[in-house]
Amino acid sequence: MTGFFNLRTNTTWVLTLASLKMWYRDRQAIFWTFFLPLVLMVIFGVLNFGDFGAVDLGVVDHARNSASRSLVSSLEDAEAVDLFHQSGTGDAGIGILEREQLALEDGERDLVVVIPPNFGETGGPVIVDVLFDVSQAREAQIGQTVIRQILDEMTFASNNVPNRFGITARPVFNRDLRFIDFLMPGLVAMSIMQMGLFSVAFSFVQLKNRGILRRLLATPVHPASFLFGQVVTRLSVSILQTLVLIAIAVFLFDVKIAGNMASILLLALIGGGVFVSLGFAISGWARNEEVAAPIANVIALPMMFLSGVFFPRTAMPDVLVSITDFLPLTYLIDALRNVAIDGEALWSQGWSILGLGVWLIITFVVSVRLFKWE
Amino acid sequence: MAQVNPSAPGGEIIVEAADLCKTYGGIRAVDGVSFTIERGEVFGILGPNGAGKTSTVEILEGMRLPDSGTARISGIDVVENPRAVKSIIGIQLQSTTFFDRLSLSEILQVFASIYHRLVDPLELLAQVELQDRAKSVFKDLSGGQKQRFSVATTLVNDPLVLFLDEPTTGLDPQARRHMWDLIKEFKSQGRTVLLTTHYMEEAEELCDRVAIMNQGRIVALNSPDELISELLSGGFHKERAEKAANLEDVFLELTGHALRDA
Repeated sequence: MTGFFNLRTNTTWVLTLASLKMWYRDRQAIFWTFFLPLVLMVIFGVLNFGDFGAVDLGVVDHARNSASRSLVSSLEDAEAVDLFHQSGTGDAGIGILEREQLALEDGERDLVVVIPPNFGETGGPVIVDVLFDVSQAREAQIGQTVIRQILDEMTFASNNVPNRFGITARPVFNRDLRFIDFLMPGLVAMSIMQMGLFSVAFSFVQLKNRGILRRLLATPVHPASFLFGQVVTRLSVSILQTLVLIAIAVFLFDVKIAGNMASILLLALIGGGVFVSLGFAISGWARNEEVAAPIANVIALPMMFLSGVFFPRTAMPDVLVSITDFLPLTYLIDALRNVAIDGEALWSQGWSILGLGVWLIITFVVSVRLFKWE
Repeated sequence: MAQVNPSAPGGEIIVEAADLCKTYGGIRAVDGVSFTIERGEVFGILGPNGAGKTSTVEILEGMRLPDSGTARISGIDVVENPRAVKSIIGIQLQSTTFFDRLSLSEILQVFASIYHRLVDPLELLAQVELQDRAKSVFKDLSGGQKQRFSVATTLVNDPLVLFLDEPTTGLDPQARRHMWDLIKEFKSQGRTVLLTTHYMEEAEELCDRVAIMNQGRIVALNSPDELISELLSGGFHKERAEKAANLEDVFLELTGHALRDA
């Protein structure tokens, strides 16, 4: 008989170690936790899906008269440009200068057209400012051509003394964000979700179904010791996933991590906790693997597409954006993106962390209520 | 009528069941069961399916709460302190599997850690003649080997009482004889064993005393010899005279006693 502090006879330690060993020996689990997100990252990174499509254009209208409206509607009709809709400004397609400038710097716009207050008035020359992203030379070129064309048409169309329009093009340096920079935090969050949901739900339904939990119940083991080991294993894996995916993104695709690594890992841990606990809830509810799989999928799949893993949620209708604001994966992705890529501080992500905390409590309570040993 | 005498022949009492009752959905699965087991005894609970054997055993193991009655192992109340009871007994469940991705040695070490003990897995495996399979995984074992390994996991805490629930069900004659030898070995080590079985010859071969259950009640409790004598003294005789050997003896003579699960 040996003491509590001898690690080889410390139940929690031995169970945790055993759980880690079992995970490490599960080739299939390793494939799904690491290789699937890696394959996605390589495919999207190499093909650079984010770059195709029309020129993203933002408009700031200081004039707000019939002439400026006709310019905006012509821009809306132009096929080569996508007039960007910024939510929360009231007028569709019209943004506030500061916000549009930020969007340009973040790479969400290729150009921003600034219509001056005197637009459409006769008299002196009217100068339209066009801010463009220097890293997007082709898009900036196309966009400027389109704008000049529209302005020329407006000049010829007016019967009065022709208005004279000038364009001042002003380069703006964005932080050179590419699709892969946007995608990486999304993939990290997605793989943490997949691991938590599927690995916990499946392995626990199996342990329960095959009587292994019951055999443990025939020993004096404290359930907390056993569950602790299982949770620690999953959380370690979520840390490992984050590190591996970030390492690949940095070394293979030259993604720059602007944020603090400890903050990123802390977010991975909190997110891991939410999804592990959701996985336990599923395993408590599902009778067998055949039931656990569809439930986990029904939860994971929509979240994958609604939480902005692959594209910004701003591309969705407003209603959908406000609903998906509250998804646990959204909180995790937003916080990871802001910290890792935009270099924001962890404490500035309080809202997302609070959201994750609430989800952690909800899923924990549900899983405790649903959990059964046999 | 067979006599029911609930107390042990006189020695240190280690298992005590007093008036245990358990009802499932209106059916009295265990209906006033009382008996005691003395240290070092091999005690059998016999009965047809649904007689209440497993429910009775599970109450004693602390795996299930009785509706009423008391159960004590080595003086510890099972209802009040199931964890203390579980730490001094060994439980072999009717059908168990173990972790997939751990070797037999590793599983034994995990189970030992639950009792804060260090064990020599090879020595435990040798006791059940599985020392050659130390690095195997459970699912690759044969039926008899699985059952023996399951018994080995109950030995990690050097238990005072071993609970074996139908330890030979589904085994071939060689493997069953082997399990019998194992149980006899436990008895010679002075361990107390409580086993349930469907096989009368098994109870006759192994048990010091047996309790026969029917519909939740103990209908007879005595040594196998006494029970048979009682039956015969009541004027019972078989239609067909027993031969000095049976078909199993023929089978074992033809196929040998060696285990077939290597």
